[in-house]
Amino acid sequence: MKKSFLLFLFGIAFSLSSFAQQTTIKGSVLDGTTGEPIPDVTITIEETGQTQKTDAKGEFSFTQNVPLGEQVLKIEKVGYVTKRYPIIVNEGQTVDISGMTLDFDTSDKKDLFIISISDDNLNSEDDGITDNISGLLQASRDVFLSAAAFDFSATFFRPRGLDNANGKVLINGVEMNKQFNGRPQWGNWGGLNDVQRNQEFSMGVSANDYTFGDLAGTNNIIMRASKYRRGGRVSYASANRSYQGRVMASYSSGLLEGGWSYSVLGSRRFGEEGFRDGTLYDANSFFVAVEKQINDKHSLNFTGIYAQNRRGRSTAITEEVFNLKGREYNPFWGIQNGEQRNSRMREIEEPILMLNHYWDISSKVRLNTNVAYQFGEIANTRIDNGGTRLVTINGENAYLGGARNPDPTYYQNLPSFFLQDANPTAYDFQQAYLAEQAFINDGQWDWNALYEGNATLRAQGGNSLYVVQADVVKDQQLTFNSILDAELADNIRLNAAVNYRKLKSENFARVEDLLGGTGYLDVDFFAEEDDNSTISDEVAANLAQSDVNNPNRIAREGDRYKYNYEINADVASAFAQAQFKYNKVDFYLGANVSQTSYQRTGIYENGFFQGGGNDGSFGDSDKLDFTNYGVKGGFTYKVTGKHLIDVNASYFTKAPPIRNIFSNARQSNAKVIGLESEKIQSVDASYIFRSPKVKARVTGFYAGFQDGSDIGFYFTEDLAGLGVDSGDAFVQEILTNIERRHVGVEVGIEAQVTPTIKLKGAASVGQYTFQNNPNLYLTSVDFQNRSDIGTEVTFGDGTTQLDGYHVAGGPERAFQIGFEYRDPDFWNIGITSNFFSNAYIDVSNLARSANFTSDFDGNTFNDYDPDEARDLLRQEQFDDYMLINIIGGKSWKINDYFVGFFATINNVLNEDYVTGGFEQSRLANFRRMREDQSRANGPVFGPRYFFGNGTTYYLNVYVRF
Amino acid sequence: MKTLKINKLILLLIGLVVFNSCVEDDDFDTPNTAVEEPVLTGDILQIAALAGELAQEQGNGSVDYTDEETTFSYTFNENDLFMEGYVVSSDEGGNFFEEIIIQDNFENPTIGIKLLIDVNPLFVRYEPGRKVYIKLNGLSVGITNGVLTLGALNGNEVDKIPSASENDVIFRSAEVQTLVPMPLAFADFADDKTNLFVQLQDVQFNRNIVGENALTYASEPSDEFDGERTLESCAASSSVIFSTSTFADFKGLTLPAGRGNINAILSKDFFGEVFNINVNTPEDVNLTGTDRCDPDFLECTGASGGGAAIFEEDFEGFGTYATEGWDNINISGTSTDWFISSFSGNFYSRISAFSSGNTEADVWLVTPAINMDGTTGEELSFDIQANFDNGTNLSAWVSTDYAGDPTTATWTILDATIPVGPASTFGNFETVGPINISCVDGDMVIGFLYEGSDPSATTRYHLDNVIVTGN
Repeated sequence: MKKSFLLFLFGIAFSLSSFAQQTTIKGSVLDGTTGEPIPDVTITIEETGQTQKTDAKGEFSFTQNVPLGEQVLKIEKVGYVTKRYPIIVNEGQTVDISGMTLDFDTSDKKDLFIISISDDNLNSEDDGITDNISGLLQASRDVFLSAAAFDFSATFFRPRGLDNANGKVLINGVEMNKQFNGRPQWGNWGGLNDVQRNQEFSMGVSANDYTFGDLAGTNNIIMRASKYRRGGRVSYASANRSYQGRVMASYSSGLLEGGWSYSVLGSRRFGEEGFRDGTLYDANSFFVAVEKQINDKHSLNFTGIYAQNRRGRSTAITEEVFNLKGREYNPFWGIQNGEQRNSRMREIEEPILMLNHYWDISSKVRLNTNVAYQFGEIANTRIDNGGTRLVTINGENAYLGGARNPDPTYYQNLPSFFLQDANPTAYDFQQAYLAEQAFINDGQWDWNALYEGNATLRAQGGNSLYVVQADVVKDQQLTFNSILDAELADNIRLNAAVNYRKLKSENFARVEDLLGGTGYLDVDFFAEEDDNSTISDEVAANLAQSDVNNPNRIAREGDRYKYNYEINADVASAFAQAQFKYNKVDFYLGANVSQTSYQRTGIYENGFFQGGGNDGSFGDSDKLDFTNYGVKGGFTYKVTGKHLIDVNASYFTKAPPIRNIFSNARQSNAKVIGLESEKIQSVDASYIFRSPKVKARVTGFYAGFQDGSDIGFYFTEDLAGLGVDSGDAFVQEILTNIERRHVGVEVGIEAQVTPTIKLKGAASVGQYTFQNNPNLYLTSVDFQNRSDIGTEVTFGDGTTQLDGYHVAGGPERAFQIGFEYRDPDFWNIGITSNFFSNAYIDVSNLARSANFTSDFDGNTFNDYDPDEARDLLRQEQFDDYMLINIIGGKSWKINDYFVGFFATINNVLNEDYVTGGFEQSRLANFRRMREDQSRANGPVFGPRYFFGNGTTYYLNVYVRF
Repeated sequence: MKTLKINKLILLLIGLVVFNSCVEDDDFDTPNTAVEEPVLTGDILQIAALAGELAQEQGNGSVDYTDEETTFSYTFNENDLFMEGYVVSSDEGGNFFEEIIIQDNFENPTIGIKLLIDVNPLFVRYEPGRKVYIKLNGLSVGITNGVLTLGALNGNEVDKIPSASENDVIFRSAEVQTLVPMPLAFADFADDKTNLFVQLQDVQFNRNIVGENALTYASEPSDEFDGERTLESCAASSSVIFSTSTFADFKGLTLPAGRGNINAILSKDFFGEVFNINVNTPEDVNLTGTDRCDPDFLECTGASGGGAAIFEEDFEGFGTYATEGWDNINISGTSTDWFISSFSGNFYSRISAFSSGNTEADVWLVTPAINMDGTTGEELSFDIQANFDNGTNLSAWVSTDYAGDPTTATWTILDATIPVGPASTFGNFETVGPINISCVDGDMVIGFLYEGSDPSATTRYHLDNVIVTGN
């Protein structure tokens, strides 16, 4: 055993000297290649779990409660290969192990986490299904979480079933999660891998020095100039997953004379398409940090990040489309003048500027004060096919035009549409065959047809029928915070913080491209006065207006149109935490309070919601305030140095994010009815085992959520109780009072079988289910002016029967076994086999409400059959699948340069698998669903699925100096 | 500091920024959308030739527009064949859907045809005035909904061409002409004039559906599929059905009250029985003249109202028209007549030309004589229930010299707004009036004239509670 320890030793120098009765362990850590001191290295005495961090000179010391005898010191820092040093501690003596070295981690796995993350998230639909949480975990050294971050990230696996919004991402102590949806926008700092190696991760709600945190953990990315090791790096990566190429160059000065340090990075990621067709990638990232160490006590840092990203998006497809076109298929693009053009682009441009002040008030008290400003916009494009021409006859307006949805996967273009009758005729088969052939042979956007259409109208003096619309969120956010870290006693630490965030978010649609036309008439083509309406003629005449104060306006390229409003959000919070460390037990207690207020200000006065106030759309909405608090606590009980028990518990409430506040923010000030702060309670208990050869953790976890909320948007047919032929509507579905329970067990084990071979295993078995029947109501402009129904439509008792259904969000079970071989000759290879099961579809909430059983008159269908209904509503469980990943790399030292490469191959066996999916709510009642699902030639409105990538590779070559 | 100079690094960074290859930016050039004259390799037929083929297939010298069973198909085996013509319809306003009406010339057309195709929108490529060529191979011609139609064969009827075939079937010429509508009088409406772009001159909508209680083109609660409105000719006292789809973008516009011209496409109703007028856009309805050609109503200016009934008939316990002193006379000599009917115990007079086979059915229902000398301020009111309405064809008249023959009496029309009922079901009784008839003296009769014609004017009316009051 000791032999294997010794093999871990590199250039160790230790001497013993006596020191007046006090037992001390001290030392310093240097970079194994440059010989520079490394700050912020975590030194742990394994038996007691005591930790220290190295200072700017790379030095550390333990003076309190130092255990005696044979001990192991663990030395670790993100981006470096962890080392363990055996030492012998004698009472009253000082162990000095200066000059320990850490080697830069050439495997560069960390790089990959950031890649898979920012890529997946950039592509996500913000629907809570496709987002990926693994970015949060990249800094974790936990064997389970590191599997989750790397090998599980290719699918939608989420540790403990938690969403991205349940984790916090900080840069230099400033929270980066968006107020809009609570999720970090990874694209804002994508392509900066070289300068994001300093990360501090705390698991779950465990003690964190900066913030109260959240269930999925907190990750602080330290981007301070003085914290970078001196040197530079130039790399080139090639891949076929999202981008095709990446070039990156960075240089950091380290600490210069006069207390200055700086760091710069530039990178570019590019590609015509990733694994999915037509997913263009065009991203440029720049980073600069400058820090001045003013004196021993004060240091001032500036960090600027500009990460611009433009991507072509792809989408979930039905089984029918998959069968015809395969998993690489993406309907969003088409050929224009011989080049691929994607109709759905996402462009993110939100630079971040921050000033950080670090003040060491005393050797025990530190205060860190930050001001950050972020501004810019996120724009998502789509084709708007509702262009019209104004015809005025005797003072009355009519809007002529509009076109069918030109999406190639529009249901009327697919074979199933033509074969939907029980007994298709020869003509139907002919139509279906032609549609199928056209779809297989082309199946992409016909940009030329859009231009042709606009050109024809232009010749007639008409407006554009088709335009490219961008949905824009333009934010300005100022954040201020101050973080205190005080050592009250040798074993007591106090962390406290105050935060204030002010956000002004402008939301609007913008005409991005008139596609050869001259203008777009800014009215809602679909606006129609209902037969049952009671509104005055004057109001009715303006229904179609997106802004009744500027009726029938022609929008040009770059103009705002359709909707235009601001959200102002103010969040103030305070946090305090005390950490206690004793021989046998460490524990902590933390609490926070916050005040959040939201207000919508309508700049356009929408035709359907004329006037101001809460019922209208113009001017200020009511101000919505949420007061929230949280408490948490936990302990680690050290049975022995090898066996530990770790328990964490929390109870806290969270203000809903902006997206859940207003039922249809684009059109009105109406707030969500019954909206509450979400209440969360969690507890987890772990048994941790660590011996020199084996590290293992078993954790049981529980989290309960109450009063959750969600809003969905879709078109649906035949809503119950709305009368014959008047039940079709484009609706907003508002869900409140959602209760969920996440329980499960996760296991991670790692065994260093020989000094070069490591075996590892990880498993997570969970169950994430709804625990009640949440409230469901629909709103729609189609209900807005009807006298026979209210503006909020409910079904039955107003709930949806979700109790017992699984919360969609990746596989509930994941298993991994793998091994790593690390050759002393600076090369390594690793293989993992990953098995996933128990992933469930996101069910249609509407189909689980009383709408399902009810006919147009609100009464139960006379042919309703509970047994058939159960079959129709059974939650689909996706097939199990296994993914094999290989990773390897090698590095060389050439003079002062390090040259290396590493590569990964994911899904080596090219397994076909579904990562997620959702039911469409278009047909959400018993009769229509039964009809659609029983069609011999497949449903017309079947569920839509996200398919996993086939075999993909990533190769990175670098030079470091 | 290492040997690699910072300068070099900066250069490298600049290099990265400049390195902008590989990826499309978002400035796309506008594609060339100019229409190029197609090169056609095959014979070009006129629409009349297609009609001829169909007539021959039907075994007739000319097309039988009632024969919806027979079709003629162009096979793929023969040489390529094309049909040429000019587009006259537009689906921009939503009044046409998945069909293009094509006529043989942009002016003075002689024949038109309806092309069915599963594509929407069509006006962005095939706008009115555009010359097009239709490749006939694989297509069939026949009669659908009473008009000449070209499309794909579905069983034994002509149906929509699949959208996937659009580019294989329709070829656009670069030629776009300004259409010259062909003037056409109501009396000249004929089957072989359908699918033509025509001008209806000096017309107006019926007085009952414009003005104060004006209807919209097609967004009345009672409109299903189409809004059918009575359009009258000022030149000849005749009317036709002006039909607008309930999916039209302009269905909510109010019918114009004036008089003038309408450019429209002559078509048939869904059943292929009745001539319909369809417009592409409301801009083709130029009824701006202010002097309507309504008949001269009886205009009494004196005070009226507040009196007691001097004549009242609710048809309860009614004998026969003859025994009760009423006249029920079909002056066309056909079989349609008024008769007593009941529903839920309520009795009323009823009439409809529906399914009668009578192309002419002018039927009078005349009250017994009512003496107007003993009273002043007289008013008339009656209840009408309009059902299965396909146009208003009932009117109320007054005569003081009626002697048993409606054709020889002197009649003055009354300003009675006959309610418009639903097209495919029963309506409700609505009270018409009170109408001021205080200026009538002596013995008068009230006549209700039903001007029926099966199948174009078959609205079913129920008449009840005819009341004359006086002081």
